Amino acid sequence: MGPLIPNEIIPVEWNFVLAILIGMAFGYIMEASGFSSSRKLVGVFYGYDFAVLKVFLTACLVSLIGLSYMNYLNWVDLDQLFVQPTYLWAALIGGVIMGVGFLAGGFCPGTSLCAVGIGKIDGIAFTIGLFIGIMIFSELFEWIEPIYEDYNLGHVTLDETIGISREIIIFVFTILAILAFAVSDRIRKRTKKIFY
Amino acid sequence: MSARFKTKRILVKRSYQFLAVLLIILSGGLLLLPEIQKHEGLSPEYYVKNMLSTERYISTDELADRIINEDPALLIIDTRTTEEFKKFSLPNAINIPVSEIFNPGNNLYLDQEVYDIVLYSNDHFFAEEVWMLGNRLGYQRLYVLQGGLNAWFNTIIKPTYPDQTMSNEEFERYNFRKAAGKYFGVATDTIEIITEVKIAPTPKKKVVPKPKKKKRMPEGGC
Repeated sequence: MGPLIPNEIIPVEWNFVLAILIGMAFGYIMEASGFSSSRKLVGVFYGYDFAVLKVFLTACLVSLIGLSYMNYLNWVDLDQLFVQPTYLWAALIGGVIMGVGFLAGGFCPGTSLCAVGIGKIDGIAFTIGLFIGIMIFSELFEWIEPIYEDYNLGHVTLDETIGISREIIIFVFTILAILAFAVSDRIRKRTKKIFY
Repeated sequence: MSARFKTKRILVKRSYQFLAVLLIILSGGLLLLPEIQKHEGLSPEYYVKNMLSTERYISTDELADRIINEDPALLIIDTRTTEEFKKFSLPNAINIPVSEIFNPGNNLYLDQEVYDIVLYSNDHFFAEEVWMLGNRLGYQRLYVLQGGLNAWFNTIIKPTYPDQTMSNEEFERYNFRKAAGKYFGVATDTIEIITEVKIAPTPKKKVVPKPKKKKRMPEGGC
């Protein structure tokens, strides 16, 4: 838990306690803002509710800008952050499957557990399906493996790939996100109001 | 739409606008911040921790074992002067004197992550110097032969005979060193390790017939 533990402000044993507290806060806020409702979640696709888009983009922006300032103040070393390796085929196919599943089931994996937490039957059905999917994937992994591990681009980041400084990308991303908020608001006003 | 609802809507909108402006200012601020000079390489704390750690040492026994087993991931570097290197060196060692450690040609050997590099000198001080400089430059997998060639002579080439009261491990180590010495060209003999205590068979009791005392006739004497 940077920057508190690496700077020895709190001992390392707090890692797990903080993880549990942050996890609980995350679940609570997600539920409180209506993310356990599949109608709200799929609203992005139908254009009557853009809460998901706004929440995720805002979270991205806050962490991006916050981490950059912490890096500047030497509280956190950005070069030590783990960057997920990019497997192009896996990302593309997985993204499509995830999107279809999201739209058909009305949840993403995290929010489905959130719905299970408050006892929603559709959430429970979705989670059972999730585990069946995991089982099928594991059983067929030998066949899927060549595609799964193909086209590994390594730990690539946008600034290194394009060759533009990280700060410019953050600024452009912020502007784009705010534009997306404004545009999504316009779309929401034009679509028919749905009460749920 | 009531006036109250309208004002509420405007307030919500204003808070959104405020957040949007805040995000733009903060991300724009990142662009305007002056460049900062970051410490390159190791942090002082990490460096001190590395210096105090004894993990960098490798014993002469371990090195001998790895040389004999032809460990493919082993690279031995002699840090003494070229004259000394010509007189004697460990098998397959490469000579990089301390004074030439920054020679760009030597980076090929030192700056890599494939081999375990064992540095040695007569004692371990020159090797330690190279280790410290290499560590500062971020080189990986550098080790120091503890005691250097002096320890090598005292352990592998001319091991001291263990005391009789010492444990079996000491004798085993002695034998290993003698055998290793043979590999490196020293002719000596090994001693037998006592693994089992042989108990001598109990001798059969010999029955020694006792000569019966003959009854003496009472001797009279008067």
